[in-house]
Amino acid sequence: MRGVVDACFLIDWSRFRRRRILEELFDVLLVHEEVLGQVRSEVTVEYASSLLAKGVLRLYPWSEADEVEFVTLRSQVSSNSRIPSLERPDLLCLIIAYNSGAVLLSENVGVHRVVEYHPKYSRVRVWTALDVIEQSVYRGLVEVQSEADFLRVVKEYELDTHHRFRRDRIERSVGRVRAWLRG
Amino acid sequence: MSEVTPSQELLRKWEEEDREAREIRRRSADWDFIRRQPPRVRAALIYFIERGDRYVAAKIAGLTVDEFNEIRMRAKIPVVV
Repeated sequence: MRGVVDACFLIDWSRFRRRRILEELFDVLLVHEEVLGQVRSEVTVEYASSLLAKGVLRLYPWSEADEVEFVTLRSQVSSNSRIPSLERPDLLCLIIAYNSGAVLLSENVGVHRVVEYHPKYSRVRVWTALDVIEQSVYRGLVEVQSEADFLRVVKEYELDTHHRFRRDRIERSVGRVRAWLRG
Repeated sequence: MSEVTPSQELLRKWEEEDREAREIRRRSADWDFIRRQPPRVRAALIYFIERGDRYVAAKIAGLTVDEFNEIRMRAKIPVVV
């Protein structure tokens, strides 16, 4: 499976005690060089470097055509006050995911909102860390025997990164895991 | 350039999500820690509590997103997704 990773996801995921599952779930993670430029802390730099060294994280070859798409998308989303500010690297990730058909890994509320309404980019699959954990369960990368086991792993992520998943998001995820556990 | 606009229903849903997330961040924050910070960082943390936007908050603080994230975690302000 191919993914695209944005800066905040990389920053947060690098602090997760089970961060290894990402490289087992994805064959390739594409990243724009400007995203890497936002990474500064030792833990994130070390994590990104290790993924690059393993060949899992790869630089996306940005083109002039991609740049034209960026200018169009930026003008379309920059004026909406309900969409948190989207920095250039976030929009680049969205364009890379659209053009490569890869899953975009992002917890940026603005990115999630763009794909909720934008006629073109609504086809992009955007996963939060919760979605990554859920998919890892289905692929046997995280072993869970019950809903409680699943919620324990989710809580680990929340504690390690100081995140809080919305209740409705967790309920939907738990519902799918419950159905999967029942076979 | 063509206009792409979310529906009123989506805007109302987002408004409610923003309100809930703001309440969670306000309740969880370590306000003593925030009050002890230098003015720019303090302003950035308060902005983050209100809007949940790490990029703008980092700019207010004069830090990178990664650097601001370290301070956010010490201030016990969750990212609500």
